[in-house]
Amino acid sequence: MEKLVLFIPFIPIMIAIVIGFLNKKEFMPKVAIFFSSIVALLGLYGTYYVMSTDEVIYGFGGYLVFNELSAILVPYVAILGLVIRKYSTKYMWDEPGYKRFFILLNFIFSAIYLLVMSNNLMILAIAWQLMSISLYLLITFNVESKSAIKNGGWTMLVHKLADLLFIIAVILTYKIFGSFELAELSQKWLALSASGPIDDPMVYVIGFLFLFAAMMKSAIIPFHLWLPYTSEAPTPVSALMHAGVVNVGGILLNKMAFLLLLTPAVLNVAFVMGLITAIFASILMLAVSDIKRSLGYSTVGQMGYMIMEVGLGAFSLAIYHLMVHGIFKASLFLESGSLINAARKEPNVPRRLSHELFWEEKPQYNSINMFRMVALFTVVPVVVFMGVKFALGEDFFHLNAAILILAFAWLTGTQLFLSFFEVTKANSPKVIFTVISSFIIVLFTYEFVGLALEHFLYGEHGALLYKVATLHVSGTMTLLMLIAIMFIGWYFTYKQHFVGIPIGEHKPNKLQWRIYKILAKEGYLSDLYIKYFKVF
Amino acid sequence: MLMDFILLFLFAGVPYYLVFEKTNILGKEKIFYLSSLLVIIGMIVFNVTEKTASVPFAIIALMASLFSLYKANKTTNLYKLSYYILFFNAPMLIMFQTKESTLYGVSLLVTLLGIFMMGKYYERNYGSANYRPITGITLVTPYAGLMLTIYLTALALYPPFPNSLMFLNGILNSDLCTLWYIAVVVIFFGNFLIAVRVMAKTVFGKPNTNVHYIDLAPKERWLHLTMFIILLVLSIVGLKELLA
Repeated sequence: MEKLVLFIPFIPIMIAIVIGFLNKKEFMPKVAIFFSSIVALLGLYGTYYVMSTDEVIYGFGGYLVFNELSAILVPYVAILGLVIRKYSTKYMWDEPGYKRFFILLNFIFSAIYLLVMSNNLMILAIAWQLMSISLYLLITFNVESKSAIKNGGWTMLVHKLADLLFIIAVILTYKIFGSFELAELSQKWLALSASGPIDDPMVYVIGFLFLFAAMMKSAIIPFHLWLPYTSEAPTPVSALMHAGVVNVGGILLNKMAFLLLLTPAVLNVAFVMGLITAIFASILMLAVSDIKRSLGYSTVGQMGYMIMEVGLGAFSLAIYHLMVHGIFKASLFLESGSLINAARKEPNVPRRLSHELFWEEKPQYNSINMFRMVALFTVVPVVVFMGVKFALGEDFFHLNAAILILAFAWLTGTQLFLSFFEVTKANSPKVIFTVISSFIIVLFTYEFVGLALEHFLYGEHGALLYKVATLHVSGTMTLLMLIAIMFIGWYFTYKQHFVGIPIGEHKPNKLQWRIYKILAKEGYLSDLYIKYFKVF
Repeated sequence: MLMDFILLFLFAGVPYYLVFEKTNILGKEKIFYLSSLLVIIGMIVFNVTEKTASVPFAIIALMASLFSLYKANKTTNLYKLSYYILFFNAPMLIMFQTKESTLYGVSLLVTLLGIFMMGKYYERNYGSANYRPITGITLVTPYAGLMLTIYLTALALYPPFPNSLMFLNGILNSDLCTLWYIAVVVIFFGNFLIAVRVMAKTVFGKPNTNVHYIDLAPKERWLHLTMFIILLVLSIVGLKELLA
């Protein structure tokens, strides 16, 4: 019975074939949604099976596996797929090529499932490439748009490069370790890691090839341009791209986690590249004038965080991050698409569901009350919990990875809270509560969700990953860095949310203008590509 | 030495199409037939002798291949494109082991035959095999658009089509050396760049309002469906080889 779960990657292909033979437009989404629901149910059943029996499901001669990683990701992708298909039913109705859209959508989902569930590097390579071509055909869905085709071509070039690096990495892995099977390879890597990092430079080459392939697919700087420039794709495709496709880099690195145990330098590079991406893309997000591109840079920044987490050894946290970010970004894109659609039909400004739910048509005191309730019910229990934990003296901060992750997560959490509750300068207690609450929630999430996920995915080996990734920086230095990050974060948060009344005439500073110009032009990277690499 | 040269010539490692193009002895269609025939003979000879070409000959083939890439990049004629691509892939046919080379060659020939047949369709309906003015066929002639997308995707070395699987199988079973890395990068990206450029100018784009578009006739559809089935069968063979 449990072996049925292994058919998940093939069900979307079957849906695509069935849709190919349908003539009535109304039946296409119905078929897609019905079978996608079956996929979601099968995924949930698989998760239940893996969690309840502590056994993984192997099948198709060991080429596919439904393991702990699949147990988390398959239901996530399946539910995301179901939402996107349901959304596309109406959204794409008037577009030419309705059938083509549903067929391509199912192909890309099949590739994602195959990628998540593969237990063989060759199957992984096939899924990896299958996803690239499906993405290209979806990005260029609007075949009449010149810019969509041009940007689609650029996207493909980056993805093709990622494909090549991946293939070479797979071949080298086979030549050195003598197997394609991931479970077997993971055991080998784990055994080798017992004697510490190894000296063979070829292993480092393999590690770097996998890392760079992942970085290209996850739009990490300097391979990021494909993501902000492909917003012209239909909204469901954008949602899928930002919630699913860009995450494959993180998924790949999680599958290769034990290989990276042998190559600490690769993890350190991942951390640095992730850090640069997180900072640079977040600044660009604020500077660019195009709202869709801004959203693209927001995703690039989040992918930077994700790769940074991997670089710190927090592999499971990266999975948690990519899922949470995916849900958030998909809902953002789908809602914006609905708004645009509604704006085309309604004479008035369309209403936004999330805005109505949280703020609109609610008396002010309700919002404050809600805020206090959240603060009260998070601060008190968690302070008690953390107090007990610290009193017991467990080595919570024994690795600097934890400190850095918490610092960044706290900054993000604070920003989210300040935006969510529309905090103003006049309400100081609220600000203090916000900042404390966010910090506490981050600690809480890290301690419970992050570690629970880590235990589920990597068991006792989770700590090994942190140990290998730890940067060799002294404790004092780490704390100083942490304080600096917090001050910078505080300053930016203050600047962003506490807009004071300007005193006197404000004269623009030349240097500031220059910096702004560079940022608004996205560091001239896009111009460079367009001017000097006339491939398409 | 002599055998090396024969293999180089048969596997399209020498761009002899230049002579035919300049002198007009053979038409574009016939150049494709001739070069395909020679490649098939090359495969048979390769299988009988089981002799792999030496490095200098592989280098010559690679240089000729780069020239064919340049020519393929310039042309907008589907007939010419099909034989340029055949010549472009010559280094891989020469460098792979016997079995892998044969399988890759067969997949490549089937795909190129598909493109060649699309050229025939263009010539029959639009007067020539030149695809430049016939843009946006996905929307107006969906069957033709679908088939061309399939052939070009196969050509761009993407799975599940056999070219990609056979290519992967071929490079996996070859010995790693500097020439291997150069040839793999050139062929991998070259095929992709040509395919994507042609795709952007045929399958995509705005339909030309001055052209009366005609989709594939039912007979042609069956023919292309057969080609597609052959590609799928080859894909299964390729997958089996890859996982073996």
